[in-house]
Amino acid sequence: MIAKLRLWATYLKVALSSILYNRLIYAISVGTIAISLLILGAFVLLSVNVRDWIQGWGQTLSISVYLKDGIDEGTRERIRTAVSTLQGAEIKGFISKEKALQDMKGMLGSQAGLLDGLTWNPLPASFEVAFKNVDRAKFEPKRIKEALEKVAGVDEVQYSEQWLDQFEGLLYVLKIAGFALGGLLCVAVLFIITNTIKLAIYSRRNEIEIYKLVGATDWYVKAPLLIEGALQGALGALIALVILSAVHLVLSFKAVQVFGLPFLEFVFLSSSYALGILFLGLVLGLLGSFIAIGRFFKF
Amino acid sequence: MIQLFHVSKIFGPTVALKDIDLRIRTGEFVFVTGPSGAGKTTLLRLIFGAEPPTEGQILINGINLSRISGTKLHLLRRKIGFVFQDFKLLSRRTVFQNVALALEVTGEKGSVVRKKTHQMLRAVALAPKEEAYPIELSGGEQQRVAIARAMINDPLILLADEPTGNLDPEITREIMVLFRSINLRGTTVVIATHNRELLRNTDQRIILLHKGKALE
Repeated sequence: MIAKLRLWATYLKVALSSILYNRLIYAISVGTIAISLLILGAFVLLSVNVRDWIQGWGQTLSISVYLKDGIDEGTRERIRTAVSTLQGAEIKGFISKEKALQDMKGMLGSQAGLLDGLTWNPLPASFEVAFKNVDRAKFEPKRIKEALEKVAGVDEVQYSEQWLDQFEGLLYVLKIAGFALGGLLCVAVLFIITNTIKLAIYSRRNEIEIYKLVGATDWYVKAPLLIEGALQGALGALIALVILSAVHLVLSFKAVQVFGLPFLEFVFLSSSYALGILFLGLVLGLLGSFIAIGRFFKF
Repeated sequence: MIQLFHVSKIFGPTVALKDIDLRIRTGEFVFVTGPSGAGKTTLLRLIFGAEPPTEGQILINGINLSRISGTKLHLLRRKIGFVFQDFKLLSRRTVFQNVALALEVTGEKGSVVRKKTHQMLRAVALAPKEEAYPIELSGGEQQRVAIARAMINDPLILLADEPTGNLDPEITREIMVLFRSINLRGTTVVIATHNRELLRNTDQRIILLHKGKALE
């Protein structure tokens, strides 16, 4: 057991010494792996966040009831009553035409001057309604929309599920694109690692011959090469995660709000996803080494 | 004991060795000679297990090389030292590390590796140069490093392929004295050479290879 540990320490020493000796080749290889896994990680991060946003919105079903211009107080109150009688509905607020314009200016920020030329306010007043404790399966926003649009003074009703449907479609596209891109990137990483290890074998073929000559086992020759591949993959993945986390840190300071929906929180990958990427790098590294070694030695 | 029974080795259209029958007793000192291309190197490589014979059987201390599994072959190689004309030293390793390598691959303890390597370097008079790199050594010194590496596992057999081919006559004599002292400690020594000078003054057994056939 101790002899085996001693041998593994030697394998690690040989691998590290080879990495140091061929440091430029390894640096390029690790950098390329890091970029590939960074792209993959960014896709995973985006998918995870979009999924979370959709789930978050799904839990707070909401509708916006837009009112016709120029309706009187009585009509507005009748609409309020009609909305309040809907099961689970809670009016979160009334947004007047002025408030809607003000919000729009706020969203436009430095571009708010574009609205200065308006001679009239085109934005409608609205009731923002949230539905709580409703069974999502039984919730029929389309029916509510149709019923409310028949109430006098109501111009249009929009519900968040319209957006959800579109975003779920986007998530599906993201997933498919992620799988395709992920597959391609994994193949690219494998190719890079295989070639780096092949270069290492070429540059060390005399050394390998001498190892065999002095009675080294096949494993003694192969183990350092496998370690080199695994280290490359894991290091590339680690760098990718560090860059991804830095990018996330910058982006997370900017809260995003879309179409009056709740604020979007930009979360980082959970530890299981991060470990998954690290493990993927490690496995690709080992696999790349296996392929390279297999071309030179029989396992 | 090295035994070859009807051993032939054919590379494509070339017959390197043909129907060789040979016995080399334990502790014997043998020269294998012949012109270039006579099959000297091939014979040593077959004994070392680096190549399988096309025909025939090779036994090393009773172990049939054709029946030994690939994974066990390395264990046998640790009992056979090999010295080459071009030394085959690792240029990125020091003299000490080159010699220690043969023990490290066996998984030997660090303290044992250090102790035995120091002893072996003293035996070949290279202790003062243990931190030098091969490129900083003369040809004779490099060959002594290679011999030290071949001997550190106390092999039963020492094979040397043109070990003095790159050395001047003075250094050649020194290296031959070293081989002689190794043999006197009981190691079987087989030296392949076409150096006539070396053979002229010896009373050791000489095997002549000619066109792949062995003649005593």
